[in-house]
Amino acid sequence: MTPAHRADEVGTVAPDTVTRVPEPTPRPQLARRRLADREGFLAKLFLLPTVAYIIGLVAFPFVLAIVFSFSDVTTGNPSLDFVGLRQWRTILGSRVFWTAFRNTITFTVISMALIVLIAHVLATVLVKDFKGKWLVRFCVLLPWTTPVALAAVSWLWLLNSIFSPIDWVLRWFGLIEANMYYLGRPVLAMGSVIAVHVWRIVPVATVIIMAGHMAIPGEINDAAEIDGAGFWRKLREITIPLTLPISAVAVLFGAILTFADMTVVFILTRGGPTQATQVLSSWAFFKGIEGGDLAQGAAVALFLFPLLLAAAIAILRAVRRTEVM
Amino acid sequence: MTRRSRPLPITRRTFLQGVSAAALLAACSGGEGSSPQSAAPTEGAPEERFTDPATQLSGDLRLLMWSHFVPAHDEWFDTFAQEWGERVGVNVTVDHIDVTTIPARISSEIGSGEGHDLIEMIATLSQFEPSVYSMNDLMDEANSRFGTQLELCQKSSFNPTTENYYAYAPAWSPDPGDYRKSLWEEAGLPDGPSTWDELLEGGGRIFSEQDIQMGLGMSQEIDSNMYARALMWSFGGAEQDESETVTLMSDQTIAAVEYAKELFDAAMTEEVFAWNPASNNEGLIAGQLSYILNSISAWRTAQESIPDIAKDVFFVPALEGPERQLAAQHVMYNWITPKFSQNFDAAQEFLLHYTENLPRVAYESKLYDFPGYPDQVPDLDGWLDEDPFTIEGDDSTKLQPLKNAVDWSTNLGYPGPASPAIGEINNIFILPNMLARVARGNQEPEQSVEQAHQECEEIFEKWRREGLVGGG
Repeated sequence: MTPAHRADEVGTVAPDTVTRVPEPTPRPQLARRRLADREGFLAKLFLLPTVAYIIGLVAFPFVLAIVFSFSDVTTGNPSLDFVGLRQWRTILGSRVFWTAFRNTITFTVISMALIVLIAHVLATVLVKDFKGKWLVRFCVLLPWTTPVALAAVSWLWLLNSIFSPIDWVLRWFGLIEANMYYLGRPVLAMGSVIAVHVWRIVPVATVIIMAGHMAIPGEINDAAEIDGAGFWRKLREITIPLTLPISAVAVLFGAILTFADMTVVFILTRGGPTQATQVLSSWAFFKGIEGGDLAQGAAVALFLFPLLLAAAIAILRAVRRTEVM
Repeated sequence: MTRRSRPLPITRRTFLQGVSAAALLAACSGGEGSSPQSAAPTEGAPEERFTDPATQLSGDLRLLMWSHFVPAHDEWFDTFAQEWGERVGVNVTVDHIDVTTIPARISSEIGSGEGHDLIEMIATLSQFEPSVYSMNDLMDEANSRFGTQLELCQKSSFNPTTENYYAYAPAWSPDPGDYRKSLWEEAGLPDGPSTWDELLEGGGRIFSEQDIQMGLGMSQEIDSNMYARALMWSFGGAEQDESETVTLMSDQTIAAVEYAKELFDAAMTEEVFAWNPASNNEGLIAGQLSYILNSISAWRTAQESIPDIAKDVFFVPALEGPERQLAAQHVMYNWITPKFSQNFDAAQEFLLHYTENLPRVAYESKLYDFPGYPDQVPDLDGWLDEDPFTIEGDDSTKLQPLKNAVDWSTNLGYPGPASPAIGEINNIFILPNMLARVARGNQEPEQSVEQAHQECEEIFEKWRREGLVGGG
């Protein structure tokens, strides 16, 4: 029995026994009890690891990157000299930078459109009851559980210029005569990078959107069916509007992942052919780490931050408005 | 430009062979880990030599190096390093990582101020000069003990602007042409091409008549860098002159770029635009390429995986161009010690021990590694005359063209030094892209060279401001 329980019992006994109340609980225990009862304190305490994590692994590197982009720091010389906007002027005057910028936008927009579309289709299917649903769900989630480097290396083999099994199958069916050189042709290379990225992100987007589908009260669909609404009308007037907020979250999440990702590009094409798949994150790596120019690498990496921030704010506001309505 | 595609004569058998070869190559790349195994001495290997260190050594010595293309080398090296450590009282650990990740690792270690004491990379590390110990004293000692270091090694580790050896380069690998003899015999050149003109003529004929393309990459990887440089130098072009002034924009470079387009149109497919460092090895081993520029590693791999292909692979020196016969070194072993290291003495002593044992290095790497101090390895010519690692039925004399490799090999940055500017140009692949833009039909040769020249100028200017590059 805890001291607190004993004190409660003491309060219910006859007054003449009050004198026999045991010694008060030691101060430290009382102090602990009070702290444990203070919700505000607990809230801060529990948030502390997250805040420390964000400061240490997000805010600090972010601020450091800003500082770097206004300096002449290199990988071999970490000392900082302020150089104003020189690094920004240099990257803005670079053709490769603008190519990477365009590629980043193309990569992100097409990827996200495909991800949202496929995730919605999959979510619509996966909320239904059918035989073997668990197996289908398992298969859909599998790409998300595969380490990205391992997955990209597997894709590298699937898209190999000589040994591509995809080419092999297409030739078998007589659909192509010669190998496609997926990674050697700009359009196919970008298509390959997008396909692999979509393959990676679709599972998590599906799970998010599936949660939205499952949150739609069954009565709404039942009522619509009674009123004679078909699949497309329910989709247009119930499913899409009610899953819009969560879809927006999926888009935001996916877009940030896509903007920041360089793994698929790095492993599949290293930015080639002739920079056709170079994106800002991979160019930042090549310039900053491989080339040794940390300052320009930081400037390249930071370039999209204002755009991303604006997009994030816009999407979150839209979500809020939708929820309010 | 729409590029024609060639039907590939791939059977189920060649497909599976290729996949096996690719898997073997992937396995060769290895991962990180200190794995000192008690490797038995390779049969016929030279005796290991040992000289007592000049000072009493102690403490730890942590080495970081690439996973060698010849895995047997790493097994030997780990034991070699640890045995030296036990003998001199130093606790040695060796980590091998994939070569493409080494620059990033060095950057993070220098940034954090802790990590390995001695780091080896296979390309110039000139960008790290401000954060590494000077190797000037070590160079003096090594030159007094082992003779004069090759000029291409010196130029890959010495900064004339600061008069500083920022790295130590005791070994290197040449970059010959690897060709399929049976294919070139049918094309009327049984000994392979000896000039760039012959390469175009023979390679084009093989492609049109035998459906086997050539494999000279124009991608963002090391072999593409080497191809671009060999071609440019042979035509008389260069990124810089001896005084480190950018000279890329020249009639000679433009002529080289025009040739690259002609060669691509005649003998290659679009696969070369997105290759990784292993791609040309895989293609050669799979029997799908007539000629590549590479070290002997692809052939050594084929000896184990597909011996019939290995027996058909032969080597030619750098190709003769209109101006000269020159190729870049394939690999240049650069060792650096970051300033955070607490055991620079042990690092230097280990490098002296390593240099003293260059005969063993060459042998254990199956003649992949060549000495930066040739006098140290008098047996090398004999091994190249009669390959000690030959396989049954193979021609054991096929490495003879490498005997004079030093005459047709040079450092990155030729005719100047391998400065940080040259390192950055190399690492962001300006020259392969210069060739590729024209080969793809995206730009005219003059435009592409002009763009590359401008990119080089900006990079040189930046490193000049850092005080690490001369000229201007």
